[in-house]
Amino acid sequence: MTETAIEAAGLGMRFGRRGKPALDGCSFRIPAGGVCAVVGPNGAGKSTLLSLAAGLTRPTAGTLTVLGRSPGEVRARVGYVAQDKPLYPQLTVAETLRWGRELNTGRWDEQVAERVVAEGELDPYAKIRTLSGGQRTRVALALALGKRPELLLLDEPMADLDPLARHQLTGTLMADAAEHGTTVVMSSHVVAELEGSCDHLLLLGAGRVRLAGPLDDVLAAHRLVTARADASLDPHTVVESRTTGRGLTALIRPEGPLDPVWQDTVPTLEELVLAHLRAPQAPALRLDDVQGAAV
Amino acid sequence: MTAVTLETTAAADRRPGARGLLRATLRVHRSALWFWVLLVAVGTGVLLWTYGPGADAAWAEYRSRGCLRDRPLPGCDMAGDAAGLYHSGVALAGGLIGIVPFLTAAWAGAALIGRELESGTARLAWTQSVSPARWLAAKLAAPAALLVAGMAVLTLLHRLVFGSDSSLRETIGASDWYRSPAFEANGTLATAYALLGLAVGALAGLLLRRAVPALGTAVLALGALTFVLGDLRPYLWPVRTLTGTDYPEWTGMVVDDGALTSTGARVSDPICVDDARCLAEHDIVGYYRDFHPASHFWPLHLVETGIVLALAALAVLVSFRLLNRRTARAV
Repeated sequence: MTETAIEAAGLGMRFGRRGKPALDGCSFRIPAGGVCAVVGPNGAGKSTLLSLAAGLTRPTAGTLTVLGRSPGEVRARVGYVAQDKPLYPQLTVAETLRWGRELNTGRWDEQVAERVVAEGELDPYAKIRTLSGGQRTRVALALALGKRPELLLLDEPMADLDPLARHQLTGTLMADAAEHGTTVVMSSHVVAELEGSCDHLLLLGAGRVRLAGPLDDVLAAHRLVTARADASLDPHTVVESRTTGRGLTALIRPEGPLDPVWQDTVPTLEELVLAHLRAPQAPALRLDDVQGAAV
Repeated sequence: MTAVTLETTAAADRRPGARGLLRATLRVHRSALWFWVLLVAVGTGVLLWTYGPGADAAWAEYRSRGCLRDRPLPGCDMAGDAAGLYHSGVALAGGLIGIVPFLTAAWAGAALIGRELESGTARLAWTQSVSPARWLAAKLAAPAALLVAGMAVLTLLHRLVFGSDSSLRETIGASDWYRSPAFEANGTLATAYALLGLAVGALAGLLLRRAVPALGTAVLALGALTFVLGDLRPYLWPVRTLTGTDYPEWTGMVVDDGALTSTGARVSDPICVDDARCLAEHDIVGYYRDFHPASHFWPLHLVETGIVLALAALAVLVSFRLLNRRTARAV
């Protein structure tokens, strides 16, 4: 049993010779058996990271292991849904699933795939080109779940869905992942859609790791404090601080006991992510090292 | 619980069967498959018609016009309606066979590879239990097998028609053995060019990763290769030479001709015709003609087939290299 779903060391990816690297010196570890959110603004390198993990492209620097092996070796055990949900427009839903079965001999779970499609009340004989965005996402997800992956990589899975479809598909996905112990790694720039469903966080910014670790630990390592404007935040690590009138609101990483006159709360995921996105110079925090994570 | 785990592990090690992969590939390209079946059917129909009813009708017309007598009537060198139809049938079948490599190149560049990379469906395939290399292998093997099968039928029928009607062909002035597309269609070359089209198209698709540019590039590249190889064709086998005091007869595939001086040197013909002073001035004592007789058909044909297949293999090799360099390999 692998304990680690994805592990990266100094991972770098550069498109073209002169371009800015999409990923630059990324080191992190995502444990198996949970839901990991890969968060970051557009262009942070989320899609690049997921397509590297899916074995679709080759890193230009560093190493990446998936389920303990190189990404190219574990294709059969990894499911991947790309951001634009590519499917063959000329095939019907049923033919698409048959295509999936033929390319995943020995792994394919017809029931799971058909259930995912049936829950969306999709006509199996409808051509893919006639489907709406949400229906296509459902078919793409059925393909990915039908191969019974140990690791499921989802790139902005719900980006083009209305709230209802998003809710339904998230439910389908999470139920299936919990039932089979699938590790889900899913990227999103909509933080709200992840709150409450993920238990590991990887925040990327400009191709670098900003935050990595179990969500609870990462949240617990931060405090959202309100203090007087002239308060000194030393010796704590300040991620972001904003002065409003006589008051000051700051997201900090406590390095000792907090001043009792401050008001402090544990930030929400959204507050944490937004503060880090607004403060690109804030130091990175990794709580996912092998020793620390193997609690 | 343990049994379940073991079963899953065993299943994980099993790779998808080649048969499933081929079926999946054919399913995705079903319309192209039907188009090919239709094209082969039309070609077969036309060739069978020319072989049977077409040729019969042309002969009957020829006979009824009194052209089979010892002294043919004037106008016998003009094709009648039936002969014209027969000629059109042969030309249509030859044209169909001749255009297959270009259709294949266009399709392979655009639909087979380019569109898949452009729309991301290639990535969808690579994230099933199939490595990019196996995906490309299936993409090339399935159409290659179908092309070989279809072209075998068409070229065999073309040979049948070509071999059976040489006298009819001479009377109405249809194609000689060395002219395109009859030269390619009478042997392995048509199939080899179709495979070259497939390989060039696939390479263009992988290089450009977009359907329309790959389509154009593939067709142009194949056109250029065909043009160059067509120019090289006469030099792929040693020629025969005829010499004489007059121009030797015009026979077979003529490669070169000209005049000979008293030292045996070949010079370009000063076109003196029968002007003795002119001939003496240029020291012309005879004429030569380099040519390939009909017996050179197979040597010429097979050498060119070998070159075309080698080029196709090279394109395939480069395609796999390119794909492996870009994607994570299953070591």
